[in-house]
Amino acid sequence: MDRAFASKFAKSVFLTVCGLIVLMYIGSRFFTHVDLALYGYMVGTVVFICGFFYRFIAWGERPPTKIIIKKGIKLLFRKSTPKTSADHLVTYRFIWNRGWWRWLQHILLGWGCIISAMVTFPLVFGWMYFTMEDNGFYTVVGFGLDIMTIPADGFLAYLFFNALNISAFMVIGGVCMALYRRIKNMQAKAEQTFVYDFLPLYLLLFVSITGLLLTVSNMFLHGWGHPVMSLIHQWSVIMTLIYLPFGKLAHIPFRPLSVFARNYREHYGQQAMKPCSVCGTPFVSMEQSGDVVDVLKQNGMQFNMEDGFNLAELCLPCRRKYRLSRFTGIPTHTIPVKEANQNAKG
Amino acid sequence: MKQHLYIEMDNCIGCRSCLAACTQCGGHDERNRNYVYDVNPLVDRQTIPLMCLHCVNPACARSCPAQAIQVTEEGAVLSALVEKCIGCQNCTIACPYGIPKFDEEQNLMYKCDLCYDRTKEGIPPMCASVCPTNTLQWLTEEELAAKKAQHQMGKWTASRDFLDPLEGETNVKISLPGIIQGKQKLFV
Repeated sequence: MDRAFASKFAKSVFLTVCGLIVLMYIGSRFFTHVDLALYGYMVGTVVFICGFFYRFIAWGERPPTKIIIKKGIKLLFRKSTPKTSADHLVTYRFIWNRGWWRWLQHILLGWGCIISAMVTFPLVFGWMYFTMEDNGFYTVVGFGLDIMTIPADGFLAYLFFNALNISAFMVIGGVCMALYRRIKNMQAKAEQTFVYDFLPLYLLLFVSITGLLLTVSNMFLHGWGHPVMSLIHQWSVIMTLIYLPFGKLAHIPFRPLSVFARNYREHYGQQAMKPCSVCGTPFVSMEQSGDVVDVLKQNGMQFNMEDGFNLAELCLPCRRKYRLSRFTGIPTHTIPVKEANQNAKG
Repeated sequence: MKQHLYIEMDNCIGCRSCLAACTQCGGHDERNRNYVYDVNPLVDRQTIPLMCLHCVNPACARSCPAQAIQVTEEGAVLSALVEKCIGCQNCTIACPYGIPKFDEEQNLMYKCDLCYDRTKEGIPPMCASVCPTNTLQWLTEEELAAKKAQHQMGKWTASRDFLDPLEGETNVKISLPGIIQGKQKLFV
Protein backbone atom coordinates (compact mmCIF):
# COMPACT_ATOMS: atom_id res chain seq x y z
CA MET A 1 0.00 0.00 0.00
CA ASP A 2 2.76 2.42 0.97
CA ARG A 3 4.56 1.81 -2.29
CA ALA A 4 1.55 2.99 -4.26
CA PHE A 5 2.28 6.58 -3.27
CA ALA A 6 5.28 8.80 -3.82
CA SER A 7 5.19 10.09 -0.26
CA LYS A 8 3.29 10.15 2.99
CA PHE A 9 2.01 13.56 1.91
CA ALA A 10 0.62 12.26 -1.39
CA LYS A 11 -1.04 9.34 0.37
CA SER A 12 -2.66 11.48 3.08
CA VAL A 13 -3.97 14.07 0.63
CA PHE A 14 -5.27 11.45 -1.80
CA LEU A 15 -7.08 9.46 0.87
CA THR A 16 -8.55 12.56 2.51
CA VAL A 17 -9.83 14.00 -0.76
CA CYS A 18 -11.26 10.60 -1.72
CA GLY A 19 -12.95 10.38 1.68
CA LEU A 20 -14.37 13.85 1.17
CA ILE A 21 -15.77 12.93 -2.24
CA VAL A 22 -17.37 9.78 -0.81
CA LEU A 23 -18.90 11.79 2.03
CA MET A 24 -20.17 14.32 -0.50
CA TYR A 25 -21.67 11.55 -2.59
CA ILE A 26 -23.55 10.09 0.37
CA GLY A 27 -24.32 13.39 2.12
CA SER A 28 -25.71 15.23 -0.88
CA ARG A 29 -28.04 12.39 -1.89
CA PHE A 30 -25.72 11.18 -4.67
CA PHE A 31 -24.60 14.62 -5.84
CA THR A 32 -28.16 15.79 -6.43
CA HIS A 33 -27.96 18.69 -3.96
CA VAL A 34 -24.54 20.25 -4.48
CA ASP A 35 -24.77 24.05 -4.51
CA LEU A 36 -22.46 24.91 -7.38
CA ALA A 37 -22.54 28.59 -6.50
CA LEU A 38 -20.19 27.52 -3.69
CA TYR A 39 -17.73 25.50 -5.79
CA GLY A 40 -14.95 27.99 -5.05
CA TYR A 41 -15.02 26.98 -1.40
CA MET A 42 -14.76 23.36 -2.50
CA VAL A 43 -11.56 24.04 -4.44
CA GLY A 44 -10.33 26.15 -1.51
CA THR A 45 -10.89 23.24 0.86
CA VAL A 46 -8.82 20.91 -1.31
CA VAL A 47 -5.99 23.46 -1.40
CA PHE A 48 -6.31 23.77 2.38
CA ILE A 49 -6.05 19.99 2.76
CA CYS A 50 -2.80 20.01 0.77
CA GLY A 51 -1.38 22.84 2.87
CA PHE A 52 -2.51 21.25 6.10
CA PHE A 53 -0.85 17.91 5.41
CA TYR A 54 2.32 19.57 4.17
CA ARG A 55 2.59 21.54 7.41
CA PHE A 56 1.35 18.81 9.71
CA ILE A 57 3.66 16.10 8.36
CA ALA A 58 6.71 18.38 8.47
CA TRP A 59 5.82 19.28 12.04
CA GLY A 60 5.07 15.70 13.09
CA GLU A 61 8.54 14.63 11.94
CA ARG A 62 10.22 16.61 14.72
CA PRO A 63 11.38 14.13 17.39
CA PRO A 64 9.44 15.60 20.37
CA THR A 65 6.25 16.04 18.32
CA LYS A 66 6.45 12.49 17.03
CA ILE A 67 6.61 11.13 20.57
CA ILE A 68 3.66 13.17 21.84
CA ILE A 69 1.50 12.25 18.84
CA LYS A 70 2.35 8.56 19.04
CA LYS A 71 1.79 8.23 22.77
CA GLY A 72 -1.16 10.61 22.72
CA ILE A 73 -3.03 8.46 20.25
CA LYS A 74 -2.32 5.40 22.40
CA LEU A 75 -3.76 7.17 25.45
CA LEU A 76 -6.70 8.74 23.64
CA PHE A 77 -9.31 6.58 25.37
CA ARG A 78 -8.48 7.53 28.92
CA LYS A 79 -11.42 8.21 31.19
CA SER A 80 -10.41 11.85 31.62
CA THR A 81 -10.20 12.62 27.88
CA PRO A 82 -13.75 14.04 27.48
CA LYS A 83 -13.34 16.36 30.45
CA THR A 84 -9.85 17.50 29.41
CA SER A 85 -11.06 18.06 25.84
CA ALA A 86 -14.01 20.12 27.04
CA ASP A 87 -11.76 22.22 29.27
CA HIS A 88 -9.13 22.78 26.59
CA LEU A 89 -11.11 22.94 23.38
CA VAL A 90 -14.65 24.01 24.28
CA THR A 91 -14.62 26.25 27.36
CA TYR A 92 -10.95 27.32 27.25
CA ARG A 93 -10.65 27.22 31.04
CA PHE A 94 -6.87 27.80 30.89
CA ILE A 95 -7.45 31.05 29.00
CA TRP A 96 -9.92 32.12 31.66
CA ASN A 97 -7.05 31.77 34.12
CA ARG A 98 -5.02 34.19 31.98
CA GLY A 99 -7.71 36.86 32.36
CA TRP A 100 -11.38 37.41 31.51
CA TRP A 101 -10.61 39.78 28.63
CA ARG A 102 -8.53 37.24 26.79
CA TRP A 103 -11.06 34.54 27.53
CA LEU A 104 -13.99 36.54 26.16
CA GLN A 105 -11.92 37.54 23.14
CA HIS A 106 -11.03 33.93 22.48
CA ILE A 107 -14.57 32.63 23.02
CA LEU A 108 -15.88 35.15 20.48
CA LEU A 109 -13.13 34.47 17.95
CA GLY A 110 -12.92 30.72 18.46
CA TRP A 111 -16.60 29.95 18.55
CA GLY A 112 -17.37 32.51 15.87
CA CYS A 113 -14.99 30.68 13.55
CA ILE A 114 -16.18 27.22 14.57
CA ILE A 115 -19.86 28.10 14.07
CA SER A 116 -19.17 29.62 10.66
CA ALA A 117 -17.16 26.57 9.61
CA MET A 118 -19.93 24.27 10.85
CA VAL A 119 -22.46 26.14 8.73
CA THR A 120 -20.35 26.83 5.66
CA PHE A 121 -18.77 23.47 4.95
CA PRO A 122 -21.94 21.36 5.25
CA LEU A 123 -23.54 23.79 2.80
CA VAL A 124 -20.55 23.58 0.44
CA PHE A 125 -20.47 19.79 0.36
CA GLY A 126 -24.22 19.35 0.25
CA TRP A 127 -24.33 17.83 3.73
CA MET A 128 -27.01 20.27 4.79
CA TYR A 129 -29.76 21.90 2.80
CA PHE A 130 -33.36 22.97 3.11
CA THR A 131 -36.35 21.76 1.15
CA MET A 132 -39.93 22.99 1.27
CA GLU A 133 -42.63 20.33 0.92
CA ASP A 134 -45.48 22.27 2.53
CA ASN A 135 -45.78 25.94 1.98
CA GLY A 136 -44.28 27.89 4.87
CA PHE A 137 -42.37 24.93 6.33
CA TYR A 138 -38.74 24.09 5.71
CA THR A 139 -37.39 20.60 6.05
CA VAL A 140 -33.81 20.59 7.29
CA VAL A 141 -31.89 17.84 5.53
CA GLY A 142 -28.67 16.81 7.24
CA PHE A 143 -26.45 14.26 5.53
CA GLY A 144 -29.30 13.11 3.31
CA LEU A 145 -31.70 12.54 6.23
CA ASP A 146 -34.72 14.66 6.97
CA ILE A 147 -33.80 15.99 10.40
CA MET A 148 -36.70 18.27 11.24
CA THR A 149 -39.44 20.44 9.81
CA ILE A 150 -39.55 24.02 11.00
CA PRO A 151 -41.87 26.96 10.27
CA ALA A 152 -40.08 29.24 7.81
CA ASP A 153 -40.77 32.32 9.90
CA GLY A 154 -40.07 30.65 13.27
CA PHE A 155 -37.31 31.43 15.76
CA LEU A 156 -35.27 28.33 14.96
CA ALA A 157 -35.38 29.15 11.26
CA TYR A 158 -34.28 32.69 12.11
CA LEU A 159 -31.28 31.31 13.96
CA PHE A 160 -30.42 28.94 11.11
CA PHE A 161 -30.60 31.59 8.42
CA ASN A 162 -28.69 34.13 10.48
CA ALA A 163 -26.07 31.79 11.92
CA LEU A 164 -23.36 33.26 9.71
CA ASN A 165 -24.41 36.81 10.57
CA ILE A 166 -24.28 36.04 14.28
CA SER A 167 -20.89 34.35 13.98
CA ALA A 168 -19.61 37.27 11.90
CA PHE A 169 -20.55 39.67 14.69
CA MET A 170 -18.83 37.35 17.21
CA VAL A 171 -15.65 37.31 15.12
CA ILE A 172 -15.68 41.08 14.60
CA GLY A 173 -16.11 41.61 18.35
CA GLY A 174 -13.28 39.19 19.10
CA VAL A 175 -10.97 40.74 16.52
CA CYS A 176 -11.60 44.22 17.95
CA MET A 177 -10.81 42.98 21.46
CA ALA A 178 -7.66 41.26 20.19
CA LEU A 179 -6.53 44.36 18.30
CA TYR A 180 -7.11 46.50 21.38
CA ARG A 181 -4.98 44.12 23.45
CA ARG A 182 -2.24 44.18 20.82
CA ILE A 183 -2.14 47.97 21.05
CA LYS A 184 -2.16 48.11 24.86
CA ASN A 185 -0.45 45.02 26.26
CA MET A 186 3.29 45.45 26.84
CA GLN A 187 4.27 41.83 26.24
CA ALA A 188 2.18 41.67 23.07
CA LYS A 189 3.67 44.93 21.85
CA ALA A 190 7.20 43.65 22.39
CA GLU A 191 6.84 40.38 20.56
CA GLN A 192 4.21 40.95 17.88
CA THR A 193 4.96 41.16 14.18
CA PHE A 194 2.61 42.24 11.43
CA VAL A 195 2.69 38.99 9.49
CA TYR A 196 2.35 36.65 12.44
CA ASP A 197 0.01 38.52 14.79
CA PHE A 198 -1.94 41.10 12.82
CA LEU A 199 -2.43 39.45 9.42
CA PRO A 200 -4.68 36.65 10.74
CA LEU A 201 -6.81 39.21 12.62
CA TYR A 202 -7.18 41.36 9.51
CA LEU A 203 -8.00 38.28 7.42
CA LEU A 204 -10.77 37.27 9.84
CA LEU A 205 -12.05 40.83 9.87
CA PHE A 206 -12.04 40.92 6.07
CA VAL A 207 -13.95 37.63 5.87
CA SER A 208 -16.54 38.74 8.44
CA ILE A 209 -17.14 42.18 6.95
CA THR A 210 -17.45 40.99 3.36
CA GLY A 211 -19.81 38.27 4.61
CA LEU A 212 -21.96 40.78 6.45
CA LEU A 213 -22.01 43.05 3.39
CA LEU A 214 -23.78 40.22 1.55
CA THR A 215 -26.56 40.44 4.12
CA VAL A 216 -26.59 44.23 3.83
CA SER A 217 -26.89 43.91 0.07
CA ASN A 218 -29.83 41.51 0.45
CA MET A 219 -31.69 43.41 3.12
CA PHE A 220 -31.21 47.04 2.20
CA LEU A 221 -29.97 47.26 -1.40
CA HIS A 222 -32.26 44.76 -3.12
CA GLY A 223 -29.27 42.61 -3.92
CA TRP A 224 -27.24 45.39 -5.50
CA GLY A 225 -23.59 44.38 -5.83
CA HIS A 226 -24.30 40.89 -4.51
CA PRO A 227 -22.52 38.95 -7.30
CA VAL A 228 -19.33 40.98 -6.95
CA MET A 229 -19.39 40.95 -3.16
CA SER A 230 -19.98 37.20 -3.04
CA LEU A 231 -16.89 36.71 -5.19
CA ILE A 232 -14.84 39.00 -2.94
CA HIS A 233 -16.11 37.11 0.11
CA GLN A 234 -15.32 33.79 -1.48
CA TRP A 235 -11.85 35.00 -2.35
CA SER A 236 -11.25 36.21 1.22
CA VAL A 237 -12.32 32.85 2.68
CA ILE A 238 -10.12 30.92 0.26
CA MET A 239 -7.12 33.13 1.07
CA THR A 240 -7.71 32.53 4.78
CA LEU A 241 -7.99 28.78 4.22
CA ILE A 242 -4.73 28.73 2.29
CA TYR A 243 -3.01 30.78 5.00
CA LEU A 244 -4.48 28.81 7.90
CA PRO A 245 -1.96 25.94 8.25
CA PHE A 246 1.06 28.23 8.08
CA GLY A 247 0.57 31.15 10.40
CA LYS A 248 -0.87 31.80 13.80
CA LEU A 249 -4.18 30.16 12.90
CA ALA A 250 -2.33 26.84 12.62
CA HIS A 251 -2.98 26.47 16.33
CA ILE A 252 -6.60 25.63 15.48
CA PRO A 253 -5.85 22.23 13.94
CA PHE A 254 -2.84 21.61 16.22
CA ARG A 255 -4.35 22.55 19.56
CA PRO A 256 -5.94 19.13 20.29
CA LEU A 257 -2.37 18.08 21.04
CA SER A 258 -2.74 19.78 24.42
CA VAL A 259 -5.19 17.00 25.32
CA PHE A 260 -2.56 14.47 24.27
CA ALA A 261 0.00 16.25 26.42
CA ARG A 262 -2.27 16.26 29.48
CA ASN A 263 -3.10 12.56 29.05
CA TYR A 264 0.59 11.81 28.59
CA ARG A 265 1.53 13.55 31.82
CA GLU A 266 -1.36 12.11 33.82
CA HIS A 267 -1.02 8.53 32.62
CA TYR A 268 2.73 8.17 32.98
CA GLY A 269 2.70 10.25 36.15
CA GLN A 270 0.45 7.65 37.75
CA GLN A 271 2.64 4.80 36.56
CA ALA A 272 6.03 5.78 37.94
CA MET A 273 7.63 9.01 38.99
CA LYS A 274 11.29 9.76 38.61
CA PRO A 275 13.10 10.68 41.84
CA CYS A 276 15.66 13.45 41.61
CA SER A 277 19.17 11.96 41.48
CA VAL A 278 20.34 14.37 44.18
CA CYS A 279 17.52 15.00 46.64
CA GLY A 280 15.20 12.11 45.80
CA THR A 281 12.06 14.20 45.28
CA PRO A 282 9.83 12.79 42.52
CA PHE A 283 9.42 15.53 39.93
CA VAL A 284 8.42 14.04 36.56
CA SER A 285 7.25 10.72 35.15
CA MET A 286 9.90 8.13 34.28
CA GLU A 287 8.53 8.02 30.75
CA GLN A 288 8.79 11.75 30.10
CA SER A 289 12.24 11.97 31.60
CA GLY A 290 13.41 9.21 29.27
CA ASP A 291 11.66 10.76 26.29
CA VAL A 292 13.27 14.15 26.83
CA VAL A 293 16.72 12.60 27.15
CA ASP A 294 16.09 10.72 23.87
CA VAL A 295 14.87 13.83 22.09
CA LEU A 296 17.89 15.82 23.20
CA LYS A 297 20.18 13.01 22.11
CA GLN A 298 18.62 13.12 18.64
CA ASN A 299 19.38 16.84 18.63
CA GLY A 300 23.01 16.18 19.51
CA MET A 301 22.67 17.26 23.13
CA GLN A 302 23.64 15.02 25.98
CA PHE A 303 23.89 16.47 29.41
CA ASN A 304 25.66 13.55 31.07
CA MET A 305 27.66 14.95 33.97
CA GLU A 306 30.90 13.64 35.42
CA ASP A 307 29.04 13.27 38.71
CA GLY A 308 27.24 10.31 37.15
CA PHE A 309 23.82 11.71 36.28
CA ASN A 310 22.08 13.30 33.36
CA LEU A 311 20.88 16.82 34.02
CA ALA A 312 17.34 15.80 33.05
CA GLU A 313 17.36 13.50 36.10
CA LEU A 314 17.68 16.39 38.55
CA CYS A 315 14.67 18.21 39.95
CA LEU A 316 14.60 21.87 39.01
CA PRO A 317 15.96 23.41 42.24
CA CYS A 318 18.76 20.81 42.35
CA ARG A 319 19.58 21.46 38.70
CA ARG A 320 19.93 25.18 39.41
CA LYS A 321 22.07 24.54 42.49
CA TYR A 322 24.18 22.08 40.55
CA ARG A 323 24.95 24.90 38.11
CA LEU A 324 26.23 26.98 41.02
CA SER A 325 28.49 24.13 41.94
CA ARG A 326 29.90 24.25 38.42
CA PHE A 327 30.45 27.99 38.80
CA THR A 328 32.16 27.89 42.18
CA GLY A 329 33.39 24.38 42.87
CA ILE A 330 31.34 24.27 46.07
CA PRO A 331 28.80 21.41 45.90
CA THR A 332 25.77 23.61 46.57
CA HIS A 333 23.33 20.95 45.35
CA THR A 334 24.36 18.50 48.07
CA ILE A 335 23.90 20.99 50.92
CA PRO A 336 20.50 20.17 52.45
CA VAL A 337 19.16 23.72 52.62
CA LYS A 338 15.96 24.66 50.83
CA GLU A 339 16.13 27.44 48.25
CA ALA A 340 15.11 30.59 50.06
CA ASN A 341 13.29 33.73 49.00
CA GLN A 342 12.94 33.08 45.28
CA ASN A 343 9.60 34.70 44.64
CA ALA A 344 9.46 38.44 44.69
CA LYS A 345 5.98 39.84 45.20
CA GLY A 346 5.21 42.13 42.28
CA MET B 1 24.81 46.71 17.86
CA LYS B 2 24.62 43.46 19.71
CA GLN B 3 24.63 43.67 23.48
CA HIS B 4 24.92 40.99 26.12
CA LEU B 5 23.76 40.47 29.64
CA TYR B 6 26.90 39.91 31.70
CA ILE B 7 27.04 38.37 35.17
CA GLU B 8 29.93 39.37 37.43
CA MET B 9 29.29 36.70 40.04
CA ASP B 10 31.70 38.01 42.67
CA ASN B 11 29.69 41.16 43.13
CA CYS B 12 26.35 39.69 44.19
CA ILE B 13 25.26 40.68 47.70
CA GLY B 14 21.95 38.80 47.62
CA CYS B 15 19.69 41.86 47.80
CA ARG B 16 17.27 40.28 45.31
CA SER B 17 16.59 43.58 43.58
CA CYS B 18 16.79 41.68 40.30
CA LEU B 19 13.92 39.43 41.37
CA ALA B 20 11.76 42.39 42.32
CA ALA B 21 12.65 44.27 39.14
CA CYS B 22 11.84 41.21 37.03
CA THR B 23 8.24 41.26 38.25
CA GLN B 24 7.88 44.81 36.96
CA CYS B 25 8.86 44.15 33.36
CA GLY B 26 6.03 44.77 30.90
CA GLY B 27 4.27 41.50 30.25
CA HIS B 28 5.97 39.62 33.07
CA ASP B 29 2.61 39.57 34.84
CA GLU B 30 4.24 40.46 38.16
CA ARG B 31 6.00 37.13 38.37
CA ASN B 32 9.78 36.95 38.49
CA ARG B 33 11.62 34.53 36.23
CA ASN B 34 15.10 34.66 37.77
CA TYR B 35 16.74 33.19 40.86
CA VAL B 36 19.30 34.11 43.50
CA TYR B 37 21.07 31.27 45.27
CA ASP B 38 23.22 30.95 48.35
CA VAL B 39 26.41 29.28 47.27
CA ASN B 40 27.33 27.70 50.59
CA PRO B 41 24.41 28.57 52.86
CA LEU B 42 25.64 26.97 56.12
CA VAL B 43 29.06 28.60 55.85
CA ASP B 44 28.94 32.06 54.31
CA ARG B 45 26.62 34.60 52.72
CA GLN B 46 27.90 34.55 49.14
CA THR B 47 25.07 34.54 46.63
CA ILE B 48 24.92 34.25 42.85
CA PRO B 49 22.04 35.23 40.56
CA LEU B 50 20.85 32.73 37.99
CA MET B 51 18.57 33.36 35.05
CA CYS B 52 18.07 32.05 31.56
CA LEU B 53 21.44 32.13 29.83
CA HIS B 54 19.81 32.31 26.39
CA CYS B 55 21.58 29.40 24.75
CA VAL B 56 22.54 29.73 21.11
CA ASN B 57 21.11 26.23 20.60
CA PRO B 58 18.44 26.06 23.30
CA ALA B 59 17.51 22.61 24.64
CA CYS B 60 14.09 23.90 25.70
CA ALA B 61 13.15 24.87 22.14
CA ARG B 62 14.61 21.64 20.75
CA SER B 63 12.47 19.57 23.11
CA CYS B 64 9.25 21.50 22.48
CA PRO B 65 6.74 19.43 20.51
CA ALA B 66 4.74 22.52 19.55
CA GLN B 67 7.56 24.78 18.33
CA ALA B 68 6.31 27.27 20.91
CA ILE B 69 9.69 28.59 22.05
CA GLN B 70 11.02 31.16 19.61
CA VAL B 71 14.52 32.60 19.39
CA THR B 72 14.72 36.24 18.30
CA GLU B 73 17.26 37.76 15.92
CA GLU B 74 19.06 39.23 18.91
CA GLY B 75 19.39 35.74 20.41
CA ALA B 76 16.78 36.09 23.16
CA VAL B 77 14.96 32.81 23.84
CA LEU B 78 11.37 33.87 24.48
CA SER B 79 8.67 32.42 26.72
CA ALA B 80 6.40 29.91 25.01
CA LEU B 81 3.96 31.41 22.53
CA VAL B 82 0.64 31.34 24.34
CA GLU B 83 -1.34 29.87 21.47
CA LYS B 84 1.18 27.13 20.79
CA CYS B 85 2.26 25.92 24.24
CA ILE B 86 0.45 22.64 24.89
CA GLY B 87 1.61 22.34 28.48
CA CYS B 88 3.74 19.18 28.24
CA GLN B 89 6.59 20.71 30.29
CA ASN B 90 9.30 19.07 28.20
CA CYS B 91 11.19 22.36 28.30
CA THR B 92 11.47 22.34 32.08
CA ILE B 93 12.99 18.87 31.94
CA ALA B 94 15.28 19.64 29.01
CA CYS B 95 16.77 22.92 30.24
CA PRO B 96 20.25 22.12 31.61
CA TYR B 97 19.93 25.01 34.07
CA GLY B 98 16.37 24.35 35.31
CA ILE B 99 15.11 27.81 34.36
CA PRO B 100 11.62 27.58 32.76
CA LYS B 101 8.69 27.94 35.14
CA PHE B 102 5.29 26.40 34.54
CA ASP B 103 1.86 27.72 35.43
CA GLU B 104 -0.52 24.78 35.93
CA GLU B 105 -3.61 26.99 36.00
CA GLN B 106 -2.83 28.74 32.74
CA ASN B 107 -1.32 25.58 31.24
CA LEU B 108 1.59 27.71 30.09
CA MET B 109 5.35 27.85 30.40
CA TYR B 110 7.02 31.18 31.18
CA LYS B 111 10.66 32.10 31.47
CA CYS B 112 13.16 34.93 31.31
CA ASP B 113 12.79 36.59 27.92
CA LEU B 114 15.66 39.02 28.52
CA CYS B 115 12.96 41.73 28.86
CA TYR B 116 12.56 41.61 25.13
CA ASP B 117 10.43 44.76 25.04
CA ARG B 118 13.44 46.64 26.46
CA THR B 119 16.48 44.86 25.07
CA LYS B 120 15.29 44.95 21.47
CA GLU B 121 15.45 48.74 21.81
CA GLY B 122 18.91 48.59 23.38
CA ILE B 123 17.61 49.28 26.91
CA PRO B 124 19.11 47.00 29.59
CA PRO B 125 16.85 44.27 30.99
CA MET B 126 15.11 45.10 34.29
CA CYS B 127 17.49 43.03 36.42
CA ALA B 128 20.58 44.72 35.00
CA SER B 129 19.08 48.21 35.32
CA VAL B 130 18.48 47.85 39.04
CA CYS B 131 21.44 45.78 40.19
CA PRO B 132 23.16 47.96 42.82
CA THR B 133 26.52 46.18 42.70
CA ASN B 134 27.00 45.80 38.94
CA THR B 135 26.65 42.04 39.21
CA LEU B 136 24.31 42.20 36.25
CA GLN B 137 25.50 44.42 33.42
CA TRP B 138 24.39 45.14 29.88
CA LEU B 139 27.46 45.33 27.69
CA THR B 140 28.40 45.86 24.08
CA GLU B 141 30.76 43.43 22.38
CA GLU B 142 33.70 45.85 22.85
CA GLU B 143 33.03 46.34 26.55
CA LEU B 144 32.80 42.59 26.91
CA ALA B 145 36.15 42.10 25.18
CA ALA B 146 37.70 44.74 27.45
CA LYS B 147 36.40 42.88 30.53
CA LYS B 148 37.83 39.63 29.32
CA ALA B 149 41.23 41.21 28.64
CA GLN B 150 41.20 42.71 32.12
CA HIS B 151 40.75 39.34 33.76
CA GLN B 152 43.54 37.81 31.75
CA MET B 153 46.74 37.58 33.79
CA GLY B 154 49.31 36.27 31.37
CA LYS B 155 48.63 32.62 30.87
CA TRP B 156 46.02 32.44 33.61
CA THR B 157 42.70 34.10 34.09
CA ALA B 158 41.61 35.65 37.35
CA SER B 159 38.32 33.85 37.04
CA ARG B 160 38.05 30.15 37.62
CA ASP B 161 38.00 29.02 34.04
CA PHE B 162 39.64 25.62 33.88
CA LEU B 163 36.49 23.68 33.18
CA ASP B 164 33.62 24.77 31.05
CA PRO B 165 30.92 25.77 33.51
CA LEU B 166 28.16 25.87 30.89
CA GLU B 167 26.56 23.44 28.48
CA GLY B 168 27.20 25.00 25.10
CA GLU B 169 27.40 28.58 23.89
CA THR B 170 25.14 31.15 25.49
CA ASN B 171 24.19 34.74 24.71
CA VAL B 172 24.42 35.74 28.37
CA LYS B 173 28.07 35.98 29.34
CA ILE B 174 29.37 35.13 32.79
CA SER B 175 32.42 35.90 34.85
CA LEU B 176 33.00 33.23 37.47
CA PRO B 177 33.97 34.05 41.05
CA GLY B 178 37.73 34.56 41.04
CA ILE B 179 40.58 33.75 43.32
CA ILE B 180 42.52 36.93 42.66
CA GLN B 181 39.91 39.54 43.32
CA GLY B 182 39.76 43.15 44.24
CA LYS B 183 42.04 44.86 41.79
CA GLN B 184 39.53 46.46 39.50
CA LYS B 185 36.65 44.07 39.54
CA LEU B 186 34.32 45.88 41.91
CA PHE B 187 34.21 49.15 40.05
CA VAL B 188 34.42 48.17 36.41
